[in-house]
Amino acid sequence: MSTMSRRCIPYTPNRRPLAETTIALVTTAGVHARSQPAFNPEGEKEFRIIPGDVPTTELMISHPYYDHADADRDINCVFPVDRLRELAAEGLIGGVNDFHIGFMGTSPRLREVYEETAPAIADRVERSKTDAVVLTAG
Amino acid sequence: MRGLPTVLITVSPEASAQMGPPRAIYPIGFQIGHVLGGPGQVALQRQVLRDALERLVTPGEPGTIEERSYPQYVPPAGPS
Repeated sequence: MSTMSRRCIPYTPNRRPLAETTIALVTTAGVHARSQPAFNPEGEKEFRIIPGDVPTTELMISHPYYDHADADRDINCVFPVDRLRELAAEGLIGGVNDFHIGFMGTSPRLREVYEETAPAIADRVERSKTDAVVLTAG
Repeated sequence: MRGLPTVLITVSPEASAQMGPPRAIYPIGFQIGHVLGGPGQVALQRQVLRDALERLVTPGEPGTIEERSYPQYVPPAGPS
């Protein structure tokens, strides 16, 4: 498959006001629902689809390569889903997507992540109702 | 048209820059694991998120990582 040059910046223009914009989160911080399998510490190519209405108490982090003790106490340190819901409730953004994406960013198989996982995430998110994406890493 | 606008919040701007994110902010001095601030820092987390979202609707040079300063952020004490 073809991939973009790393020097190419894939900029998508945006003319939609925030109050009409539905947002999804995509994170490489190792966030997933407790009911979902932990990420493989040896390297991971699969991502987790996190239900949009999941209570934050049902979220956890499996990522052995950064200190997430504080984010374990408050997932919003790396995955601001509560803050996003608050902004939506206040009408500052149009809404929150019905799912988010969790991934563990550290992998010895970077080519696989770049050529397979990342395009698969982009494709999945693009087929959702979201209008824009906030990306976070650990 | 394919493509969705994205904005990255990064605490590793040098590493992120290698991938050329179209829109990004760097909260200056935030540590790994504290992308939006520390635990329970609700107002700070909210401000960082709002600043990131603002990048979606503000014209800017694609590929630039804009620095943001948040004096209210208190990094955890390091080893003494």
